[in-house]
Amino acid sequence: MLPLKDRLYRLALRITLNPAEAEDAVQDTLIRVWEHREEWEQIESIEAYAHTICRNIALDMAGKAGRGNVQLNEDSSMLNAQCSMFNEYEQKERLSLVRKIMDTLPEVQRSIMELRDIEGKTYQEIGNILKLTESQVKVYLHRARTSIRQQAEEIEKYGL
Amino acid sequence: MDYKYIEQLLERYWACETSLQEEQILRTFFQQQEVPAHLMPYKAIFDVQREQAEATLGEEFDAKIMELISEQGDALSNDGVVKALPFGGTGRGAAWRHSLRPLYQAAGLVALILTIGIAAQRSFDENVQPQQAQFAQTDSLERPADEFVAMPEPQEAALAVEKDSINLTR
Repeated sequence: MLPLKDRLYRLALRITLNPAEAEDAVQDTLIRVWEHREEWEQIESIEAYAHTICRNIALDMAGKAGRGNVQLNEDSSMLNAQCSMFNEYEQKERLSLVRKIMDTLPEVQRSIMELRDIEGKTYQEIGNILKLTESQVKVYLHRARTSIRQQAEEIEKYGL
Repeated sequence: MDYKYIEQLLERYWACETSLQEEQILRTFFQQQEVPAHLMPYKAIFDVQREQAEATLGEEFDAKIMELISEQGDALSNDGVVKALPFGGTGRGAAWRHSLRPLYQAAGLVALILTIGIAAQRSFDENVQPQQAQFAQTDSLERPADEFVAMPEPQEAALAVEKDSINLTR
């Protein structure tokens, strides 16, 4: 069960946008899954089951805290030291903007992007977790990718 | 360098038509520092994805969870809640097997006792049987002897009859 923790944490983080809340959500999820261990034999996929529980807990937390509670982790950056100072600054700004764009997407789109682009799950697996059909998952993902693409292009066109 | 393949993949990525493998190719492509200017706006998207993939929980979290679970396990077994769970509405298959467990144990124990009992009986019987066989042998030896001892009587009688008949003829 513990090997799931990082995947659950990332999903919870996408939903709550708050590392401390996300950690609490994973903790509550793991304990809840453990409490229902008598039923594990009947559950088709423990992973999907845990993801669904985690999402619900994270949604509750995000609901209580109020949406739009955007907290960004600015200290981690993937930038290359070889870039010139200007490019580095520019790329940092870009990253920060894309992060903000992603965080302002509706929760379903954020969760689907997380499960697809970060965890590499199939549309079917995502559907199982979110209780959606494969085509619904695709529609949401398409909306998410399209809006991120448009906003990324706008940043480029009109400057940072 | 020709970026047509990447551009095609990217178009299909926006349309959600790429496979997981193709999405990985895109991610690997955008991981490099040198990306043509026209693809630069999209690099940040994949960079952020990679950044998000690095969010993890440490070992302290594991320790906390294990502690919480063991505490809960103790509390649950004391309350008897875990024992009560199998009889609830959900999880019937597992509950059945679980509730029958004492029965299996009892059946196993009975089978074991029976096996040991029968084995003990057998070995006891084997010790007894040879003695009985000896008795039987001595019986069979004694009986003919009785018959043998008894036998002379009619012979004597016959002899007596013979003697009598001899006496009569005389």
